[in-house]
Amino acid sequence: MTQPALQVKDLKTQFFTDDGVVQAVDGVSFDLHPGETLGIVGESGCGKSVTALSILRLVQEPGRIVNGQILFRGDDIVTMSDEEVREIRGKDIAMIFQDPLSSLNPVLTVGFQIEEAIEAHRKVPSKMALSRAVELLKQVRIPAAESRVHDYPHQFSGGMRQRAMIAMGLANSPSILIADEPTTALDVTVQAQILELLRDLNQDLNTAIILITHNMGVVASLCTRVLVMYAGRVVEEGPVERIFKEPQHPYTWSLLQSIPRLDSDRHDRLLSIEGFPPDLIRPPHGCRFNPRCQFKIDRCLHDDPPLMNVGPDQDAACWVTMRRALAPNGERRG
Amino acid sequence: MFTRGALLYIGQRLVLIVFTAVAVSSIVFLGVHRLPGDALLNERRPDPAAEAALLHYYHLDLPLPEQYVRYVTGLLHGDLGESYVNRGVQITPLLLREARVSAEVGAAALVFTIGLGVLLGVIAAVRQNTWVDYLATTTSIIGYSMPNFVIASLLFLLFGVALYNWTGGALFYNSGWTGSYGTLDQILVPGFALGFPYASIVARLTRASMLEVIRQDYVRTARAKGLTSRVVIVRHALRNALIPVVTILGPLVIGIVTGSVVIENIFGIPGLGKEFAASILNRDYNIVIGLFTFYAIIIALANLLVDLLYTVIDPRIRY
Ligand SMILES: Nc1ncnc2c1ncn2[C@@H]1O[C@H](COP(=O)(O)OP(=O)(O)OP(=O)(O)O)[C@@H](O)[C@H]1O
Ligand SMILES: [Mg+2]
Repeated sequence: MTQPALQVKDLKTQFFTDDGVVQAVDGVSFDLHPGETLGIVGESGCGKSVTALSILRLVQEPGRIVNGQILFRGDDIVTMSDEEVREIRGKDIAMIFQDPLSSLNPVLTVGFQIEEAIEAHRKVPSKMALSRAVELLKQVRIPAAESRVHDYPHQFSGGMRQRAMIAMGLANSPSILIADEPTTALDVTVQAQILELLRDLNQDLNTAIILITHNMGVVASLCTRVLVMYAGRVVEEGPVERIFKEPQHPYTWSLLQSIPRLDSDRHDRLLSIEGFPPDLIRPPHGCRFNPRCQFKIDRCLHDDPPLMNVGPDQDAACWVTMRRALAPNGERRG
Repeated sequence: MFTRGALLYIGQRLVLIVFTAVAVSSIVFLGVHRLPGDALLNERRPDPAAEAALLHYYHLDLPLPEQYVRYVTGLLHGDLGESYVNRGVQITPLLLREARVSAEVGAAALVFTIGLGVLLGVIAAVRQNTWVDYLATTTSIIGYSMPNFVIASLLFLLFGVALYNWTGGALFYNSGWTGSYGTLDQILVPGFALGFPYASIVARLTRASMLEVIRQDYVRTARAKGLTSRVVIVRHALRNALIPVVTILGPLVIGIVTGSVVIENIFGIPGLGKEFAASILNRDYNIVIGLFTFYAIIIALANLLVDLLYTVIDPRIRY
């Protein structure tokens, strides 16, 4: 295998609130390889966004990265100077967010916001920055880009705004694009277009993509590998086909059970798993998923399972993998 | 810069301002003429013939409706009539000259209000909950809990008396304005007294607004792009944070205009505010009416400017 483009090692990010310390990300590790598309899935509040924000050190007060390394080209982003991180942001690693309306500045034109993304890292004459902005808007298939470049965000439709956000992310041809639920706020047809756009970018420009989503269907359509998060931890990781065909963690299994059959439903929050995600200030003892797990055994109540190899290139953090849980009653073979 | 719609809107507002001016002066005109005694009470004339001549000179012998028509006709031509107390002094040029004086101090006050206010607010927000924030916040609490005349008196003591004694008379604040242009210190000291309470309001509002805007998604986007924190704060956060500040600019201008009456009298500045007090005490009613009209026009124009400023600062607003 090639050298990873990004390596996250034992990342812990916590929020120091008045109620206590929220362990939002608690020991997450993963590698991202050049040109790869990695999906991060999990229920609301499991720490996906905080993981993504940590990578660019964008976590706001009262949040802090308290442990771990984020290795990019051999350097640790966690310990870099502010200026070094600034140089990476938007240039080598770009990020786009869930709600494209609130993520664009309402008082600046779309074109200007793309231009400043370019100018933050390169001295270019403003004429050139403008023509590059137009070119980027064309690349993300905004019609009449020459005139729309002067529009304000409120003059764009939802899908166009997200395209503009992507254009902004691509401004400096980053090697990694982090997309935090880029389609959740959009309607179904537009969702599909944005995903297609991301797929093309990945293939044409070889940009590695980290795609964060609730939606297993989105993962299936775009990603090659997937990371399943639960309560601030990675509970399962592996190639998409393996995870879909033979999930080994009961949580992953439940997630897949709860996919709507037509995997295009809008806002399909994964509500069909019983119970609620745990309180991250006082997480449960043992396996964090145990209060909601149908397959738990005694050990799960006091012993915290580490990520263990459960198949070719597939890891899961569970004492009772699905292979063992389902084999006896013959529902499924592992 | 302005679209046709915007120009039309400005035109409508200007017409409205003319109506406002006429309405305000009419109310004051009628009010003043209902006061007991007549306008020349101060100059009791022993000779009834001379008094009648005076009344005739000022058309005060005409029936009220006729006086009113004369007044409004003059007003629409920009002629506010003649002073009762100082015969031969035309009010319009007098007020225009005094307006220039007031504008010098008012502009300084506005610079303090906006400049100092925004600066304190931004610094406090960016350094939230540090000593810098506490210092800026305390400064602004002092500002809006002290009325402008208290600040003015303190400044007077400080610059006029203490500084004089300390430097042995070499350096001090000299209150007496001669002519219509003040020296820099003669403008800045009263400007500060006039603007500081409002600067405090602006600082408080800017701080709250900045703290809210800093948490917005687009500020995060701006940081994610790799912009320097200075650009993020000034271009992305501050521009949006100023939108609510622009909202209170209208009332602030009114505050500065009314506050100038007090400040100009304390500092002896020969502007509209000083004239305002003097003309009422002298029962120089033509000047009183003229001043009210003048103030109405200034405030209306300020509000129009604020509304236009909105479209500049927030492209979502169009007229
Ligand atoms: N500013 C904050 N202060 C305190 N806790 C926070 C803060 N931001 C996030 N958290 C906590 O961190 C945890 C992880 O949040 P995160 O936003 O990463 O979830 P997510 O997986 O992205 O969820 P969603 O799917 O809803 O976006 C949550 O439990 C949340 O309560
Ligand atoms: Mg999120």
